[in-house]
Amino acid sequence: MWRMIGVRLLSLPAIMLAVALLTFALMWASPYDPAATYVAALTGQDGASQEVRDAYAAAWGLDASGPQQFWAWLTNVTRGDLGISREVPGVPVTRVLLDRLPATVLLLGASTVIVLVLSLVLGVLAARFRGSPIDTGVRMLSYVGTFAPSFWLALLAVYFFAIWGGWLPAGGTGDVRTETGIELRYLILPATTLAISQLGWFTLFVRDTLLDRMRDDHVRFAEAQGASRTGALIRSALPNALLPYVTLAGAHLPELIGGAILIESIFGWPGLGNLARRAAVSVDVPLLLAIVLGGAVLTVLGNLLADIGYRLLDPRTRRSPA
Amino acid sequence: MTAFGLLRTPDRRRPLTGAARRVARLPGAVQIATGIVVVLLLAALFAPWLRPMDTVTVDLGARLTPPSWSAPMGTDTVGRDLFTLVLHGLRVSLLVSAAAAVVAALLGGAIGGLAGAVGGKVDAIVMRIVDVFAAQNHFLFGLLLVVLTRPLFGSVVAVTLSVAVTHWVSTARIVRSEILSLRSRPFVLASINAGASRLHVARRHLLPHVVQALALTFVLLVPHAIFHESGYSFLGLGMPPTRASLGNLVADSQRSLLLGGWWATLFPGGVLFVFCAAVGTIGAWGRDRLDPRSRSELEL
Amino acid sequence: MTTPPVLDIEDLQVRFRARHGVVSALRGPDLRLDAGGLLVVVGESGSGKTVLATALLGMLPSNAEVTGSVQVLGNQVVGASSRQLRALRRDHVALIPQGASTALNPVRTIGWQARRTVRTRRLDPQQGAARIDLELDASGLSPIDTRRAYPHELSGGMQQRVLLALSRAADPDLVIADEPTHGLDADLVDATARRLLEVQQTGAALLVITHDLRLAAALGGETAVLYGGDLLERQATLPLLDRPAHPYTRGLIGALPERGANPIVGSPPDLSALPPGCSFAPRCPLVRADCTTALPALEPIGETGMVRCPYHHEADQDMASHAAAPEQDRHAPR
Repeated sequence: MWRMIGVRLLSLPAIMLAVALLTFALMWASPYDPAATYVAALTGQDGASQEVRDAYAAAWGLDASGPQQFWAWLTNVTRGDLGISREVPGVPVTRVLLDRLPATVLLLGASTVIVLVLSLVLGVLAARFRGSPIDTGVRMLSYVGTFAPSFWLALLAVYFFAIWGGWLPAGGTGDVRTETGIELRYLILPATTLAISQLGWFTLFVRDTLLDRMRDDHVRFAEAQGASRTGALIRSALPNALLPYVTLAGAHLPELIGGAILIESIFGWPGLGNLARRAAVSVDVPLLLAIVLGGAVLTVLGNLLADIGYRLLDPRTRRSPA
Repeated sequence: MTAFGLLRTPDRRRPLTGAARRVARLPGAVQIATGIVVVLLLAALFAPWLRPMDTVTVDLGARLTPPSWSAPMGTDTVGRDLFTLVLHGLRVSLLVSAAAAVVAALLGGAIGGLAGAVGGKVDAIVMRIVDVFAAQNHFLFGLLLVVLTRPLFGSVVAVTLSVAVTHWVSTARIVRSEILSLRSRPFVLASINAGASRLHVARRHLLPHVVQALALTFVLLVPHAIFHESGYSFLGLGMPPTRASLGNLVADSQRSLLLGGWWATLFPGGVLFVFCAAVGTIGAWGRDRLDPRSRSELEL
Repeated sequence: MTTPPVLDIEDLQVRFRARHGVVSALRGPDLRLDAGGLLVVVGESGSGKTVLATALLGMLPSNAEVTGSVQVLGNQVVGASSRQLRALRRDHVALIPQGASTALNPVRTIGWQARRTVRTRRLDPQQGAARIDLELDASGLSPIDTRRAYPHELSGGMQQRVLLALSRAADPDLVIADEPTHGLDADLVDATARRLLEVQQTGAALLVITHDLRLAAALGGETAVLYGGDLLERQATLPLLDRPAHPYTRGLIGALPERGANPIVGSPPDLSALPPGCSFAPRCPLVRADCTTALPALEPIGETGMVRCPYHHEADQDMASHAAAPEQDRHAPR
């Protein structure tokens, strides 16, 4: 197992390097001129003076050749310097990222908890009362969650809960004097709508896996001994269904990052997702690249943690037969 | 019974009844889903004739009117007819998403097929490349690709490429493992031992299965492609306003929503949802047919 | 008789509503088993023997239609509520499921599963645990090591013994063993049979479901032969193996390696399209016109036996010639 962890962690820098190389290659091939665009935006006119543009280009190192730019970026990264952000002028990318990190961690964490808890509860209920209105309802909701675009659901939720009902805030973070700078009720809508995008098929997965496991001989054995259906489901089937669930969670919870870009934008959430959108709109490549690399780290770590979790949970891989 | 019965050559003598009989044998949900997909595809196809775009005018007198007979989906903040906008938006969304799914399936099929068929070093290299792409968050990495390639190719191609480049991996994996498992199956081994050429084996035994797998991954990819396209358009990074997709419409609807115009949000996103759910239903059915492990209801 | 038999099956019919029509799994066998009795149910796959075991426990899937009567200690199983069924299973019946390797929960230790059995059966925790340890010990397993082990750390024979020990924890009145030699080496058949007979000696009724005639021979008792959901023959085991009456039973025995390994011609019946008459008629070497029109009645043979074939007297000579002439395939279905 240590070997597997080592190999996977060692592959991470290689993967990040490949992504960075691809990014620089595309930047180099692209006719887009960040300096000219920046200056144009700054002065409000298209034909900015060539000297000003060149000055910015030189300051940003854009006058160097493609490979040179890449090498400069790479050496800086190894020192923990991800470059200077253009979206948040003059501030190091690292600083910008760290400032935004807590809000995103809070949002993703809350969504993760919602996905894990609700999918297990709803999946178990649907499997236990298979074919009943409960099952049908859970499956319908899962369908909506899986196939409805999250930004659409978020807007509908904003309309219903904030504009029409007025029960919850439509966006923002509320009173900044709280510890995280975010009031809890401002978290409810973003975290829930973000969670729904993954919740649907996590729930269906729990339901279907449980129903599969309910046909296992050992579950039938438990029932043959007089165990109730609920008891057999929770004590015998569920622990076995949890094994693939762990793998699923590790592989798919990192996908919440993608949804966070949309959700944070809708709710004006001060996190990395919102920042990614702003970086994308203003073509702030160093900033966007840094966020993408962060996303890759999270994805690889999620998968790795799931694999480790699976091995620890499954006695067949935890201990080898004597 | 082979999976994807609908894709087999229909009965030559009575093509229509053959197809009808196959449709009639499908589960009810799949029939409904197929109907929805057909209706929405036709609506998108004939949008310019059903509701020509040039009838859409800014009419400040008819700002934000709720759904009515003349405007079944209501109007937006500048009085444009949303039904017309949705039809044309659907057209754009479907075109881009279908193109993206086709490119992703073909790219994945080619790369996975190469890795599976050639094996050895090629396979090892391809799998390392697969690792790089599999480690990315699709939406985030795709966003970077859109941003970088938009100045090169324009929005439509950039979004198509971005979705394809982030989604070919699953197809490549499926096709590769399909070929690897087929290559060790008795009937293929028998054919090789009997002296069949590589090309013959590939055409007779591998291709039909691979085509089936590709068709399935295409269907499964369409909803993903739609989510990505509409997501980027929602962020203002996808389709330009002149070619507004459903994602653009949902983004635009935020202004209407603040003024209480729920219909401007509900309908464009609702059409997206219904289409994705229908395609997803068909895809799930197809996957169960190809991989029926979790199906059997009756166990004796 | 004043006390009801442990098991009393009358005209048990089980049909499954499947996607493409109705599958008929059991067509009304009558079986009876008294305390301390031993009944071996023999049949190929598709004969309905596993459905029989499942029906006795009231654990058929929801698409099964059950008619007739199954009484366990006088309690009707057909149509009973899930609460009644649970109480019946918990207090009176023990199932030793087929496939010991899958009948134990792979992610729990044997100790956990033993504690679950004690809890489910509502036994006194200390006494129940002691009883299981005693049973494990009696079957040659170390209770401490076994309780600590996960199922995959045990051999197939050990898993089988664990299941048997768990089944005996509550002193059930009826023990049902489903294919107890499934997947076991031939040399373990006798050992398994001995352990099963010990169960019977404690006064429990024992129902063994198997396709293995060697196991039947090792067990003795009575044997019932199922085919296509029909009961074809029932006799004391040893006479049955010695002088089988029904042409199908003869065929089964003739198919044994030591009896010449002559398989029965044809294939098992399609349960969704059973013939109106004797289900074995399409493969039967003695088939007559009236065999295919109506199901023959059970007629008595020997002291307590029954056979569902009016022509079984004529079988002896025919069978030998039939076995040597497998091209007599004209009655095979399709």
